Amino acid sequence: MSDAADFSDSLGGDFGPFLAWDEVNAPMIRHWCEAMGDSNPIYTDAEAARAAGFDDIVAPPTMLMAWTMNGYGGQRPPGSGEGNALAVLTAMQEAGYPAVVAVNCEQEYERYLQVGDQVYYRASCEAISEQKTTALGTGFFVTELSTFYNQRDEVVGRQRFRVLQYRPAGQ
Amino acid sequence: MKLRDLQAGAKLPELSIDITAKLIVGGAIASRDYQDVHHDKAAAQALGSPDIFMNILTTNGLVGRYVTDWAGPGARLGAVNIRLGAPNFPGDCMTFSGEVSSVDRDSGEVVVTIAGRNSLGDHATGTVVVSLP
Repeated sequence: MSDAADFSDSLGGDFGPFLAWDEVNAPMIRHWCEAMGDSNPIYTDAEAARAAGFDDIVAPPTMLMAWTMNGYGGQRPPGSGEGNALAVLTAMQEAGYPAVVAVNCEQEYERYLQVGDQVYYRASCEAISEQKTTALGTGFFVTELSTFYNQRDEVVGRQRFRVLQYRPAGQ
Repeated sequence: MKLRDLQAGAKLPELSIDITAKLIVGGAIASRDYQDVHHDKAAAQALGSPDIFMNILTTNGLVGRYVTDWAGPGARLGAVNIRLGAPNFPGDCMTFSGEVSSVDRDSGEVVVTIAGRNSLGDHATGTVVVSLP
């Protein structure tokens, strides 16, 4: 293949807000901690949370994305924005790069979420690499940046999710 | 864990986690991730995978737990950065190891390098930033 397709016009964008179905709440935190085997008391015991400097039970920071997942029905909560910061992946599929694999997930946390907080996020396409050839095949690394906010519009955290959209080697 | 007790190079105790269908499905539901490859073996096989596999949010949750199990309830997570590798399939076992790579005594920030390995190789490798009292 001589000329790689150029997808750079898909960079950027500002999609959202993508809302959470539920405010941060103790039952969802407890279910998470049960599944993860996480017995950190600040997630389930208000007294332990206060001893650690919080006002109430806090959520494990790694739950960041869980609050805004669409869930069983696959629908965003009413009031959410439209669109998809990774729509470029569909364009890449159509251009002959059919396979996708998640490569990196980087989360940074500005503040802990506490019960009662309401989360939303906004998303953009932060980076699209040059065409690269890896052991898997030839394609592009694409990074979605999601910035999470609380009900006071303070930044709670950020997630960078990077995938490789590619044509498998030998195809 | 207290900052004053720590030096770069310190090792975290290893943690082995049995990868069961229960953990994969339970983690997916707790993270509200209903993609079929995380609960439906036939659907996963139709996409070329031998079995269901763990979702990324569960991996993140386990990495966070691994570091705060060690660091204690006074620690605050600042970042979890992972590179994703070999999938976690039912019947496997993932063992976390970790090492302190830097300690900033002024800010209290500690960077821990972690790896979660299963029988196929590295499931997740990366760094966790945690602030200690």
